[in-house]
Amino acid sequence: MKSAENMAKSDDLALIINGCRKGDARCFSQLVDMYAGRCYSYFYRLTGNNDISDELLSELFVKLVEKITSYKGGSFESWMFKIATNIFHDFLRSKQRRQKLLDARKERLESEFTELKKTNDEQIDRLQIQLKRLDTDTRELIMLRFYSQLSFKEIAQMRSEPIGTTLAKLHRGLKKLREFMGE
Amino acid sequence: MDNRNDENLKELLENFFGPGQTQMYLDDIEKGEQILREHPAPEPDDMLIANIKAQIALSALPRRTSIIRRVEYKVAAVAAALIIITAISTNWFEKSIDVEPKSGMQVASVFPWESYDIDALHSEVEQIEDELMDIESGRENLDSNNDISEMEMELILIAGDFWKG
Repeated sequence: MKSAENMAKSDDLALIINGCRKGDARCFSQLVDMYAGRCYSYFYRLTGNNDISDELLSELFVKLVEKITSYKGGSFESWMFKIATNIFHDFLRSKQRRQKLLDARKERLESEFTELKKTNDEQIDRLQIQLKRLDTDTRELIMLRFYSQLSFKEIAQMRSEPIGTTLAKLHRGLKKLREFMGE
Repeated sequence: MDNRNDENLKELLENFFGPGQTQMYLDDIEKGEQILREHPAPEPDDMLIANIKAQIALSALPRRTSIIRRVEYKVAAVAAALIIITAISTNWFEKSIDVEPKSGMQVASVFPWESYDIDALHSEVEQIEDELMDIESGRENLDSNNDISEMEMELILIAGDFWKG
């Protein structure tokens, strides 16, 4: 995945995006090769679940196909991760709705929920367990910085907050994570 | 492009936290990100990637077909305009050199029909009118076997190209 990323110089990327805008499936396929790994990791670290990450990644690329004509230049990664972040927020909202439903029908769904939780716990690694101890916003910021490779300026713009706030939150979050990991 | 590799983090931190604390902030961020590097997240499954690509190929197809269709309409419009211009200019030219046009000769000079079979010409014109009506009404043989087989052929070609990479 990384070699594909390195190969993607900005000129090549511009050509690929141009092809995507014309509806060329091969160009979209190249975009998938370039970004699927990073975006999947981003979703995985936010959700801690392979199945959900699969769904969110598929949704991301479907959205990219739909919205590619609205991309007006600038940092493509910033544009793409903005969509990824929105998809994650939508997921969180639907999860909250599902949680309410779950509470209402707790008895009926109890066995199913226990099964799902067990599967998830088997799959998550040590870092994932500690990441859960951070609040969602901080976790999201750390993952965005790490996987999107965007600058603090771009991240601050995306999150509509002052750059100093972004810097301080990320620093605080990473420091906490180190403590949780015992390092 | 303004990505993290181009930014001067040290300078940025100095601006916000002062030179005294910059190194501490830099170290904390670096060590924190080192943990993330040491614990890589899982990669997406090959089957998932293949499914996404197949899904994209299918959803990109209608757009490509509509672009081709738009180009076809434009070409047809240009061709029609050229025929009309040729007809008008031929008519004007023949009038300007004062040649008495003979009945039927003008039509023969503009249109490529060899015979003077009026019934055949009528049926041809009716057929073209029907096709135009179909295109305008959006029916355009959507249910005909030809279009379905064309669509299938296009899908097979795209799928072939796609798997070739």
